[in-house]
Amino acid sequence: MRYLILIISILLFSSCEKALFKKDIGSIEPLENFDYLWSEVDKKYSYFELKNINWNQVRSTYRPMLSENSSEEELFNVLAAMLNELRDDHTNLITPFNVSVYNAALTGAKNFRGRTIEEFYMPNPWRTGALTHDFLSNKEVGYIRYSSFMSDFSDAQMDLVLERYKNTKGIILDLRENGGGSIFNVPKLLGRFINSKTLVGYSITRNGGEHNEFGDKEEFYITPHDGIRYTKPVIVLIDKGSYSATTFFSLATKAFLNVTLMGDATGGGGGLPNGGQLPNGWNYRFSISQLLDLNGDNYAEDGVPADINVAFDWSDLTKDEILEKAIEEIVN
Amino acid sequence: MNKTIVIFLPFLLMFFSTRSFSQDRDSLNKHTAIQETNYYTLVSVGLTHSSYRDFATSPLFYNGVGLDLNAVWLKRADKRERIFEGGFGISAHSPRVPESNFIQPGGLAGFANFRFYYQELWKLEALSNAKNNTKIGGTFITTQNIRGNPALQNNAMGLENFTNLMASAQWTRDISRTESKQLNLWLFKPTLKPVKRDLRFLLNVGVLNFNYRPGYAYSYDSEMNGTDTNPVSWVFSNYKWSLNGFRLKTQLEYIKYLPNGNARSWSYVWEAAHAPGKHEAFQMASHRLQYTIHFHTKKR
Repeated sequence: MRYLILIISILLFSSCEKALFKKDIGSIEPLENFDYLWSEVDKKYSYFELKNINWNQVRSTYRPMLSENSSEEELFNVLAAMLNELRDDHTNLITPFNVSVYNAALTGAKNFRGRTIEEFYMPNPWRTGALTHDFLSNKEVGYIRYSSFMSDFSDAQMDLVLERYKNTKGIILDLRENGGGSIFNVPKLLGRFINSKTLVGYSITRNGGEHNEFGDKEEFYITPHDGIRYTKPVIVLIDKGSYSATTFFSLATKAFLNVTLMGDATGGGGGLPNGGQLPNGWNYRFSISQLLDLNGDNYAEDGVPADINVAFDWSDLTKDEILEKAIEEIVN
Repeated sequence: MNKTIVIFLPFLLMFFSTRSFSQDRDSLNKHTAIQETNYYTLVSVGLTHSSYRDFATSPLFYNGVGLDLNAVWLKRADKRERIFEGGFGISAHSPRVPESNFIQPGGLAGFANFRFYYQELWKLEALSNAKNNTKIGGTFITTQNIRGNPALQNNAMGLENFTNLMASAQWTRDISRTESKQLNLWLFKPTLKPVKRDLRFLLNVGVLNFNYRPGYAYSYDSEMNGTDTNPVSWVFSNYKWSLNGFRLKTQLEYIKYLPNGNARSWSYVWEAAHAPGKHEAFQMASHRLQYTIHFHTKKR
């Protein structure tokens, strides 16, 4: 009996983590979820000052719209509206029934029509990994379409593509409506267009409770790729749908003498988005860092401007004016 | 938490003390005459129920079940024992989400951990006798968690490390059956042969508790050095070591020896850890039922 008591005592003593840990704070209570999300953004979001956002004012505006009786749909609508005040496509509320999106691409005109390229410029292109490409203008120009930095390509595939266009006068790299993806694909691609290690920008990440509290500046270098490189003129096509990693890419090209940005400014997305969960199980994300140019300016969040502005003319769908201008720049 | 440890520990040691001093002096002398050292290689498999909560990414507990495998090298003598253990666990977790009135959110997270454990224990003669062996000593334990939760986007990967120096106490009670015993179960009257058995309880309490946790923002835009950037070092670049929190580990083990010197054991292992880190806390606990085979490799 003594041993039985001993064993039971030990088991009880050994199962007391509930007493050791803080209480479970899972909750579907609307105001608790509102306060949790507001506080997480307040502690970690990175662009309050650039965008001149008074986050306390935002709280005062949206919190009274909720009560303990608010439905989940009402809670979603209020939280989504609050997050959209950040004007940031790296900010989303993700629930099983809906996802909030700011949609920066809608702040500018649409400048890309894939069918125009396929039908009138490149009816039978090569598709090498994530890269769709072909010759243009009597083989004087190489055209490469990379539609998402989420999609990968191998070194051998990129070698093949650049070897194919080594005798052209220039390359057009089309990143319009490329919504971003893996940051690691940015140096992988840009490293093909330089011959020496180049500092192209910086990033800083929130490191404290104040809205302007950031850690040290981290350098962003592009190093020359060991494989085949192309250092003749490269024109990169961008628009408002070019976001996130494409904005990183575009900002980096400002340090490249042989690369020109053409089209419209990118949609932005200079911050690294995080990810988290609310007490009711919904997920969210928002930017926690800033991308800076070589002068330390953080304008990339609102978009990297094109060096040459050109717009797509939607009255004639047989022609891509941005592409035409790029061909002209290279050939002439 | 430190208060809890301070309250519990004296009670536990007092209990051992009471049991020890009730034994007679002759049996104590006989016991201390045994000087042989046994070497074992242990292989164990366990079924684990674990939970964790990472306040940096979610206020919710994640619970799940999984499998644990351990390989152990053990040197055991009456006066001293030394153990080196390497272990690996893998489990699937889901968040403890409150019930929705609309569409229930869910999710699934993978959890794996690697552990290394080194322990040295010395006999406490004052609390030992023929039937009881009490040892105290220290333990070094390091655990690396690898968690994956795609719903957390860029914070999907959780990679915390716990490294602890722990104070350890082990009490072993010899519960061997020394004479044959016949049971009377209605029609069946089996005879139980003499067998060597031990009941062992091990308590580890963290004294120096180190943890390696992410920085303030959890994710971090670190230096990018072209294609030379190593994604692993990029991920870890804002991690910081902290000396705080607590860790507790207990094991209750029933060991049955075979005539050839090998043994089998069944254990209940409980573990809890709290790592405040520098910014937001991580907590984890696990309950494991473990079956172990002890291969007696050498006697000296």
